Amino acid sequence: MGFFDTILFPIQWVVAWIMYGSHQLFTTLGFEDGPGFAWVLSIVALVVVIRIVLIPLFFKQIKASRGMQMMQPELQAIQKKYKNKKDPSSREAMGRETMELYRKHGTNPMASCLPILLQSPIFFALFRVLYNLRPIADGTQEPIGPIDAAVAGDIEESSLFGAQLSDVFMQTDDWGARITILFLIVAMSATTFFTQRQLTMKNMPKAALEGPMANTQKMMLYVLPLIFLVSGVNFPVGVLIYWTITNLWSMGQQFYTIKRMPAPGSEAERILNEKRAAKAAKKGIVLEEPTEIEPPKPVGQRQQPVRKNRKKKKK
Amino acid sequence: MRDGAIIGRSRALVSAVPTAVLVGAIRVYQAVISPMTGPTCKYYPSCSQYALVAVRRHGPLRGSGLALWRILRCNPWSLGGVDDVPPARDHEHRGARTH
Repeated sequence: MGFFDTILFPIQWVVAWIMYGSHQLFTTLGFEDGPGFAWVLSIVALVVVIRIVLIPLFFKQIKASRGMQMMQPELQAIQKKYKNKKDPSSREAMGRETMELYRKHGTNPMASCLPILLQSPIFFALFRVLYNLRPIADGTQEPIGPIDAAVAGDIEESSLFGAQLSDVFMQTDDWGARITILFLIVAMSATTFFTQRQLTMKNMPKAALEGPMANTQKMMLYVLPLIFLVSGVNFPVGVLIYWTITNLWSMGQQFYTIKRMPAPGSEAERILNEKRAAKAAKKGIVLEEPTEIEPPKPVGQRQQPVRKNRKKKKK
Repeated sequence: MRDGAIIGRSRALVSAVPTAVLVGAIRVYQAVISPMTGPTCKYYPSCSQYALVAVRRHGPLRGSGLALWRILRCNPWSLGGVDDVPPARDHEHRGARTH
């Protein structure tokens, strides 16, 4: 066992059990036992299980973005302050002030790094499990959890439109399989592109779409799918399926977020407000314009500030 | 005192390569992997930027430790905010104590 396999073994073991367990479920539901489509579905099930586990975090994040409405005026003030300053140091100051504001209000709409980083070992573990199928089936490698030689052989021979789950574009000679793999690689790149575009273009405040960081991001939006197109030829079919399904799930989740809880100041929020207004107009109600908080215009006579307890007395 | 300076210098040399490797890895992450997720970090500077500064300022061992601790803090239950890398420690008696 190599170095990476040793580190990843616990996760590989979990991945193996989730796949095996969901395969058992699919066969009791009437899918064919042995090599077959049920093993392809078990990879889909792996994505679903992982993402369902992560759903509470997703809702937590949604709740946090709801809390953001409260600090909208202050956020807008910061954005206004740095509106026309795009040099790195101003951007940095803006980032600092924004983050400090979130902390002050006790609500932070960012997803946080740990859960995202924790997902990547799962991906690598799946990669290794699929990679090790052939040696396990041959008996040259130790079994992983429930995946022994017989099961590994079954999974390996399971295929999607002629491409076996452990097939890699660069290592197969079958052109039928290659065409399926190419199709999957394109699907993976396309879903990555759309998920990312949905994320950056639609659901980010305008102010966040400026500056050098945003430019890198925009560039990566187009470069990443290309990287995937190139590197995809080294991924086994199972990983391609996993990645594509993950993207589809993220897209669905984001779609929900954008529809229901768009980031304040983003394109998605503008569309949502327009829709709400149109709906209200249909019913004959004039919605109150979402009041943009503007500093009161200075007038000739300054009103004396009144202490709170006095104000009450007047009343 | 002179010994300390020599130990300090050799330490700096020994840590130069791992530092370069780590910095390179973080850079690759920032350029290739990070854009896939969009902005996620709850802190300023972001975890990867923090790691970069920490490794450069504190060396590969302590820097990695600081970065790891930061990532652990960047969880769904934290509030985030501004969190800078602590300033470098006094270099004077670094080599002597660790061995």
